[in-house]
Formats: sequence, C-alpha cells, structure tokens
Amino acid sequence: MRPSALALVLALCPAAHAELRQADQSDGRLEFSAIQAGAKFTGAFARFRVALDFDPAQPASGRLDVTVEVASIDTLDSERDEILRGADFFQAKQHPQAVFHAGRFERAGNGWRAPGDLTIRGVTKPIPVMFTLAPGASALVMKGSASLRRLAFGLGQGEWASTEWVGDEVDIRFELSLQPVG
Amino acid sequence: MPARNSSFRYGWVAQILHWAILAFLILQVALGKIAHELPVGLERLALMSRHKSVGITILALAVIRLAWRWIDRPPAPPSMPRWQAIGASLNHWALYALLFALPVTGWLMSSAANRPVSWFGLAQLPDFVAPDVGLKDVFEETHELLVNVLFVLVALHVAATLKHQFIDRDGLLLRMLPGRRS
Repeated sequence: MRPSALALVLALCPAAHAELRQADQSDGRLEFSAIQAGAKFTGAFARFRVALDFDPAQPASGRLDVTVEVASIDTLDSERDEILRGADFFQAKQHPQAVFHAGRFERAGNGWRAPGDLTIRGVTKPIPVMFTLAPGASALVMKGSASLRRLAFGLGQGEWASTEWVGDEVDIRFELSLQPVG
Repeated sequence: MPARNSSFRYGWVAQILHWAILAFLILQVALGKIAHELPVGLERLALMSRHKSVGITILALAVIRLAWRWIDRPPAPPSMPRWQAIGASLNHWALYALLFALPVTGWLMSSAANRPVSWFGLAQLPDFVAPDVGLKDVFEETHELLVNVLFVLVALHVAATLKHQFIDRDGLLLRMLPGRRS
C-alpha cells in the first residue's frame, strides 16, 4: 500500500468505526401513549437496553438495538398493567422481551430515521424509528419516537381486539443519554 | 309554559334542568354501581367511561342550572315554619354542591388513576392532578361517601315534597311540574 493511501485509510478509520454507545433505564425514559376510552394516557417501561453504533458519515452501516423487558410495563395503574402483561396483550411469560433492530440509517429532516424490525409477542414487523442526536457533557443525548399498530403484533386478543375502547395506534417516545462503552 | 319562573311556578328552563339532572343521576348511579361490580375487563372499561361522560354532562348541566338560578330567581316557597324553610334551603344548596363535588371528585380520581376522562370520545378533559395511587384512593373514597350523602339528601328532598303535597296540600310539587296556570 502506498503511503498516501495508507494515510487516507487511517484518516477514515475512526469515522468508519463509530464508538459504540449504550443506555438503559437509568439513562432516560422509554414511554408510550395510547388511547383508552377516547382519552390518551401515557405509560413507560422500567427495564430496557439500547445500543447504538452510528456514524453520521457512514449511515448505511452501524446498528441500533433496543431490548425491552415487557413485564416492566408501568402505566401507573396496576389493574391495567396486569392486563397488559397477560395473555391478551404482551403474554410476558412466553415473550418476555420486545426487540428492535436496525442495521442502517437515513437522513430525515434535522434528524435520522432507522428503518428496522420490531418483534413483539413473536411477531416481527418493519417499523422506522425517528431520532435526533445532540452532544451532551460526556453522553450523547438521543431523542426519538416511533409509532405502531398494536393489533399488528397481536397486542389485544379476544375482546381487546376491538378498537372501540382501546385505540390501535400506539406512540412511542424516548429520551436517553447514551454512554460510551468501556 | 313560559321559559322564566313566575311567582307560582318554575319556568320550563328551570324545570327541564331539574328533571334532566334527575334522569342523568339515576342513569349515573346505575352505571357506576354496575361497573363497580364488574370484573376488570372491556365491559367494565366501557361502562366506566360512559359513567365519566354522563358525570361530565351532569357537571355541565349543574353549571347551567346555577347560572340560570342566578339569572331567574326561584318563585317564593309557600309559607312554612322557619326551621323548615331553613332546612329546605340548606338541603337545596347541599344538593347543588353535590352536583359539582361528585363529578369533580370522579374526574380527579380518574386523573390520579392515569385514566383520563373523555366526554363520549369527543373531547379529552385536562388532568388537574398527576397520576398518584394514594391520591386516587382518597378521591375514590370521597366520591363513594358523597354518593351516600346524595342518597340521604335526595330522600329528604322527596320526603319533604311529598309532605307538602299530601299533608300540607300547599301545591308545592306543582311548582316543578308543567301546567297551564302560571
């Protein structure tokens, strides 16, 4: 390899291999809102992990991985939480985790779009996660959103498959301080 | 029958408000009691949200009723002993207070339970308290206590009316019934 080519490769290397960053529930919030009886309410997940390997200069590679412990769902209403963990919704015993994976990124306005696959209750569907990144003191602040249709994932069996009292659309929001790994 | 009160009888505005609120209260108590007995599920959710919508309707009618009472003063009551006049007045004002306090405690209880109120799915009401299980229990107990107070005061109200109608025979009940003579 000629010296100039080597210099070029070395110059590109740090950018091509972005630093892996991680977050969990102690670094932010993962919330959702849905419509119940015509009124919007908000809940959150108390246990989750996020890993982001993302270089704005190389959006076609990298990854965003999110793992959510679905039994940690908390809508500040224990009766509702029980139903959500149960067989008619998350079936948390059989499917303890919801998983999102994206392997590439696209520019979207001022932020980014991560087209990926979301698996809930054993059902995998493509959904995009939208996010922005802002540098913090040592962490990287990631804010974003996604939306899904609960029935596409089987969230709502039997009487709960009706959308008359519980809306189909669920909006997800998150705000995290991603920490460098190691 | 004129819209406004005469010296003898309530006008149709006051009469409609009085009897409509009674009809809604009967429906409301039935919805609340039935829903309360149901197991957690979709049917309970549906009945409870109707209960909330009817409650907000009663609150709105109570506002209109009090405003109308201020615009159009009630006809003078028939002559009666002073203690009865005072008792009737106290009971009337306590009933008005309950028409506000019952919907408001129900509304606060819903907000504290993170089950915000929607009026028949058409408009979501604001939450004046944040979700809080302890607060929800306080409002729930108050709401249930006030319902029992309502039963007692309505029973007194009806008993007094019947006494005027059938013992005193002073025609007091006719004041709140339609009739040609005004």
